[in-house]
Amino acid sequence: MNDFEPIRLAQVSAGYGQRMVLDGLDLELKQGTITAIVGPNGSGKSTVIRAMARLLPTRSGVVLLDGQDIRSFGSRGIARLVSVLPQSPSSPPGLTVRELVELGRFPHTGLFGRLGAEGTLAVESALTLTGLTDFAERPLDELSGGERQRAWVALALAQGASTLLLDEPTTFLDVRHQFEVLDLVTSLCTSRGMTVVMVLHDLVHAANYADRVVVVDSGRIVADGAPSAVLTVELMRTVFGVAAKIFTNPESGRMFCLPIGTGRS
Amino acid sequence: MTSARSFAVLTLLAALAAAVLFILHLGLGTVWIPPDRVILALLDRPTDPTDLTIVRELRLPRAILGLLVGCMLGLSGALLQVVMRNRLAEPGLTGVSTGGILAAVLFLAGTWGLPPPGRLLPFVVLLGALAGGALVLFASSFRGRIDPLRLILTAVIVNAVLGSLTAIVMLRSQEALGSILSWLIGSLNGRVWDDVWLALPWAAVGIPAGLLAARAANLLQLDDESGRALGLPLQPARVALFGLAAVLAAGAVSVSGAIAFVGLMAPNAARAIAGADARRVLPLAALIGCVLLLAADLVAQSLSIKPPISSSAYRVGLPVGAVLAVFGAPLLIILLRRSIR
Repeated sequence: MNDFEPIRLAQVSAGYGQRMVLDGLDLELKQGTITAIVGPNGSGKSTVIRAMARLLPTRSGVVLLDGQDIRSFGSRGIARLVSVLPQSPSSPPGLTVRELVELGRFPHTGLFGRLGAEGTLAVESALTLTGLTDFAERPLDELSGGERQRAWVALALAQGASTLLLDEPTTFLDVRHQFEVLDLVTSLCTSRGMTVVMVLHDLVHAANYADRVVVVDSGRIVADGAPSAVLTVELMRTVFGVAAKIFTNPESGRMFCLPIGTGRS
Repeated sequence: MTSARSFAVLTLLAALAAAVLFILHLGLGTVWIPPDRVILALLDRPTDPTDLTIVRELRLPRAILGLLVGCMLGLSGALLQVVMRNRLAEPGLTGVSTGGILAAVLFLAGTWGLPPPGRLLPFVVLLGALAGGALVLFASSFRGRIDPLRLILTAVIVNAVLGSLTAIVMLRSQEALGSILSWLIGSLNGRVWDDVWLALPWAAVGIPAGLLAARAANLLQLDDESGRALGLPLQPARVALFGLAAVLAAGAVSVSGAIAFVGLMAPNAARAIAGADARRVLPLAALIGCVLLLAADLVAQSLSIKPPISSSAYRVGLPVGAVLAVFGAPLLIILLRRSIR
């Protein structure tokens, strides 16, 4: 990936209709790192991601993409720099994995949509990286949830952008497939130097996989930093309203905060 | 679903079927002309000079219209199913059929008793059809946004209103009833070169543009968020694809009337055969539309009926729209039973 100034949000406010969700948010991504955005339901996590890719216009403040105001880009120009994997993507019945992944080349192709050598290569390497080469001709609706999620990640990879935004990529997946997707994202970050932002509900995942955790509550950033510094017993109580205990992952040596709730003890 | 090679074979087969039907279509009529003589006449080397007149002057316009109208309706339906996100969508849902027919009824009722409308009627239908499409688009857009579900519901409502108005006008002037019937069901009987020239510009613009829309169509088939994230401006794309579908359907309606089923059957058949990728579905739907319409018109021509009102031995061909509905519906049901489990 070529050098590229990561996304920066400056005093961003955004919302839907009358309802404001983000309230003067400042956030600067670091290239080649994984950032996890966590927070309670309705806190504005997904909205942060939507604002980063101009899927939602800002009310005030500015989003900088590669150092320039994101409003000065065309839609396809943004798509060449930023890939987004929405929370519940859907494809028409019968669409094959390869056909889906080829759609990732839309921002790069001309009127006739010819993939060209570069496009074909991008599609093939996206299929290889996600381990989907053998599934390429299978319709998406015949795959398991984990394989399907990998196909959507492959679509985002084929896009060739250096920033990848994922909105709850592990929701609806069983525990093995959750790890599969997270491991995949981590390896992309290291092998391709991609800048990754994930909205996560599972705080243990956030602690295990992210370089940096950003906690959003009521449209503001209430904590930002290394997982062990951010995910504290105190934060769990004030932001999420649950009791928690601190543990160390014996494998990675990372500290993490395990919510234990209140009942059944 | 299918590999690139088997898709190429399928496309070739469909094109071949269309070519064979086209030649047979030119041979069929009061005088049967065998395929070899049809081809020679087309190549300007007729074995019998009357072949030249019959094939090129009398029968060619109708066969070309069969090709064009089938292609336009098939493609229009395929585009509309993408924009409306519904496999039940068909060209009539653009509002162009009911718009065109209302215009025709008003025109016939208003000019009844005056000199015959002559060649003006197709133009009137065309204008009405375009107005109907514009009305649906206008009525369904809300703050500049087109939502697939709202678009379908608006189309159904606008069609119902235009249809009722047509019924009211027809009740008030029943003399117009006879002439309007063939527009209501769709027919290619007695079409001449003038009709070809009327439909040709819409086909010449609409068909290539519709096929080029495949890339945008593919992104519109995803969820809204994914389509936008890949760089497609959704609202302009929806308006453009709906406009293309309406223009294609209006061009077809202006020369053939409201032919049903082709625009529903062709895209569904194309999807059952080629999967979901619009780069395959759109051209295949257009080709299947040609095949269906030419085949149905062949049947329509051979099954002529003797109208009870005429005392002479004069016989008229069946309207192609009726043939399509009668034979096409069971075919579509079989296809859907096989493709949707």
